[in-house]
Amino acid sequence: MSIILAILTYVAYAFIIIMYGRKAIKYAKMPLHLRWDLYPVIHKNRRNHGGSHYDDLEWWKKPRRRRFIESILFILKDNFYLGEYFHQNRGYWFVLFPWHVGFILIITLHVLCFFAALTMVFGLPVSAESPNIFGRVFYYSVLITGVGSFLTGSFGSIGMIIKRLTNRDLRAYASPMNYFNYLFLLALFLSGFCTWYFFDPTFSGYMQFWKGLITLSPINVELASAIHIVLFALVLVYLPFTRSMHYITRFFAFLWVNWDDKPNLKGSEIEKKVQRCLNQPLSWSAPHIRSGQKWADLAIEMNFPSSVETKQ
Amino acid sequence: MKNEITVRDIGRECHQLIEINCGALLPLSSPYEETGLESHIKPLTEAEKNRYEASLDGVMAIGIPKPKSKGEEEEFIRKFLSGLRKLFSTENNWTFLQPLMLSLEYCGKCLTCSKACPVYMASGKQEVYRPTYRSELLRRIKEKHIDRMGKITSWFKGNNVELNWNTVARLAELAYRCTLCRRCAQVCSRGIDNGLITHEIRKLFSQEMGIAPKELHEKGTLQQLRIGSSTGMTPAAFKNIIQFIEEEVEEKTGRKIRIPIDKQGADILLIHNAGEYLSWPENPAAFAILFEAAGLNWTLSSESVGYDAVNYGVWYDDIQLSRIAIRHARIAKDLRVKSIVIGECGHAHKASITVADRILTGDLNIPRESCLPLLEQIVFKGNLNFDLKRNNFPVTLHDPCNMVRLMGIVEPQRRILRKICPQFREMEPHGLENYCCGGGSGFAIMSSRNFPDWRSAISGRIKMEQILDTFKDVITPETMKYVCAPCSNCKGQIRELFNYYDVWTKSTIFYGGLVELIVNALVDLKKPFINWEWR
Repeated sequence: MSIILAILTYVAYAFIIIMYGRKAIKYAKMPLHLRWDLYPVIHKNRRNHGGSHYDDLEWWKKPRRRRFIESILFILKDNFYLGEYFHQNRGYWFVLFPWHVGFILIITLHVLCFFAALTMVFGLPVSAESPNIFGRVFYYSVLITGVGSFLTGSFGSIGMIIKRLTNRDLRAYASPMNYFNYLFLLALFLSGFCTWYFFDPTFSGYMQFWKGLITLSPINVELASAIHIVLFALVLVYLPFTRSMHYITRFFAFLWVNWDDKPNLKGSEIEKKVQRCLNQPLSWSAPHIRSGQKWADLAIEMNFPSSVETKQ
Repeated sequence: MKNEITVRDIGRECHQLIEINCGALLPLSSPYEETGLESHIKPLTEAEKNRYEASLDGVMAIGIPKPKSKGEEEEFIRKFLSGLRKLFSTENNWTFLQPLMLSLEYCGKCLTCSKACPVYMASGKQEVYRPTYRSELLRRIKEKHIDRMGKITSWFKGNNVELNWNTVARLAELAYRCTLCRRCAQVCSRGIDNGLITHEIRKLFSQEMGIAPKELHEKGTLQQLRIGSSTGMTPAAFKNIIQFIEEEVEEKTGRKIRIPIDKQGADILLIHNAGEYLSWPENPAAFAILFEAAGLNWTLSSESVGYDAVNYGVWYDDIQLSRIAIRHARIAKDLRVKSIVIGECGHAHKASITVADRILTGDLNIPRESCLPLLEQIVFKGNLNFDLKRNNFPVTLHDPCNMVRLMGIVEPQRRILRKICPQFREMEPHGLENYCCGGGSGFAIMSSRNFPDWRSAISGRIKMEQILDTFKDVITPETMKYVCAPCSNCKGQIRELFNYYDVWTKSTIFYGGLVELIVNALVDLKKPFINWEWR
């Protein structure tokens, strides 16, 4: 069983990395789009009123400051705090926030387990009595993160189910997949909680499992731990088929769309990309469009057919 | 009835999906508090309903003729699906593919955006007007009919919308129940933009099926490209109007000014929304007076399309958007001007300065900017003197969505008003969080059947309430008040709102642009410029 668990874990991690990577590349490779700014643009937030460079006369002659790091930090902060929900939809935030915290903490738990196991590989014990500071830090970090994840995640999962079921509007927009997701994650959090509470109160078994993964020498674990490991691996495999990548895509949505206020200046890289896009043929077939022509040719055409189907 | 509607119901066979109950609309302040009595939406006749699609809410924005046979119905759905595929292809929709995918694939269905939507809230929370309703509809159709494995996973993902005539035709109408103000996107923590999705639905219908409101397409962009202006104004008519404005200015101010037309090598090509020349000629007149007084080197163009800044393509069709934007740029290039300045027209600002920014290349990539920072510079430079007593009446500012939330031009207009209007007061909320006038995305010019009633009763309702609330301490007719709306479409919508609610009689609230207020306060003019006469 230990080998199966190890293989499943390796495969699950590889799968989610590849799938998320593929999706991210898919978005990154999409062509340049037209501007669709939405203000306030955070990197311009030095102006309290949220204005843009268009507030300035002859804006194209003025220097433009992009505060990329500030923008990233803003999104990152909101990834953890979910501030917009807190301000706009407090009732939903009350269950969504712990659900997200549970999810973030369980990912953090596994990252910590990896480093704790690495510490153990180097011969340093990870426990409350470890003579090494790293050993003690990892021990308490894993313990707090793990228990925190199971508790908040379980609360959030149950809360999300109740919220969706009891609010008529939310229920109307929910799909079977939504409920499956809540139940699946609830099972994961509860299995983790049971394992910790009944079988592995210091997470030492779990860290040993991780040490086995690193040293390629899988070890046996309690059945409860095995169930949790299997569930976690299945969640990793399942996640790419859900909307879970919004943790990442919201960076794209803000940085590449809403806050993308980079102007197309003469001779710029953007201008070259625009020219490439304009050279593509299109096949829209409304009467005012000659299908098969290039964008550039269509856009300068003045003698086009115009009959439409909507005459009243 | 409204509470029972779900996304799945869109395809349901019924006479009309929702009934709009004017008594259930968001209440208005005094003296307009008698909700339901003030608002009315004229019902369509049976003949109209039989002939055109109006089964969403009994309102007609487009007027799609009903199919005469099963074959026509099937062809309609086939073309819709064909357009849907093109919407998600790189070649056909490079213009918005990435934003569309990011908005369509990651909505968490938390409905946080609903409260931000003025149409949904003003309607008394009609489910079909919820920002996520039409997005969810498109998402379900796309996932089921376009995505791989879509039919197999449809139950699990809740993709239960039946694809039939009702669904597609109602979706087309529904795309014209959103003003694209994008307040919903502003509150979304994931950056999901339901306004963008609506924009893309409109594109699908226009670019693939040739379906769009005639005011935007036939009488809008097509007419502009053919005749020169969406108003129907030809270059010869434009020159006549300029002559008329020169005479009016002389008669009104005693000043003989010559408005420059087609001046080669000017610093600025100023382009107004041509609607100004016909409905509010005092606006281009005020620009001419101010630019002359400031000594600017500027010109207008009398070339076809060159005297009309509007670009309705920005609301429904990327091809039409590109055609008009390129035409403007070519005219500027031929005149050898240094930059294009857009007059007081919000959508023309956004279309020309930001959205079309990635269409114009090489010699056509001519700098384009808003008139607002230019007006600010003129006012603050110190060369002109202002008599604030002339503007000593309550003034508030309407923020056009396209200039403010969608372009970030927030402060110049405020600095001007704070300087020249002693009784300037802000609406709440204002600036980036403003509410749309209700005429955005083409609504202000769409006049099909009972659509104007819907626009005044619902999409403009929150703006109406905001204006009343801002002037609540002086709401009686004794005090003249002024809503400054530096956008032609917003002015058109506010005029309709005020007519619909009889605001001039009840509260003497006037409306107009920003430049009129500036010129009104010019010391050099013998008498005030603003003519407080309701038209």
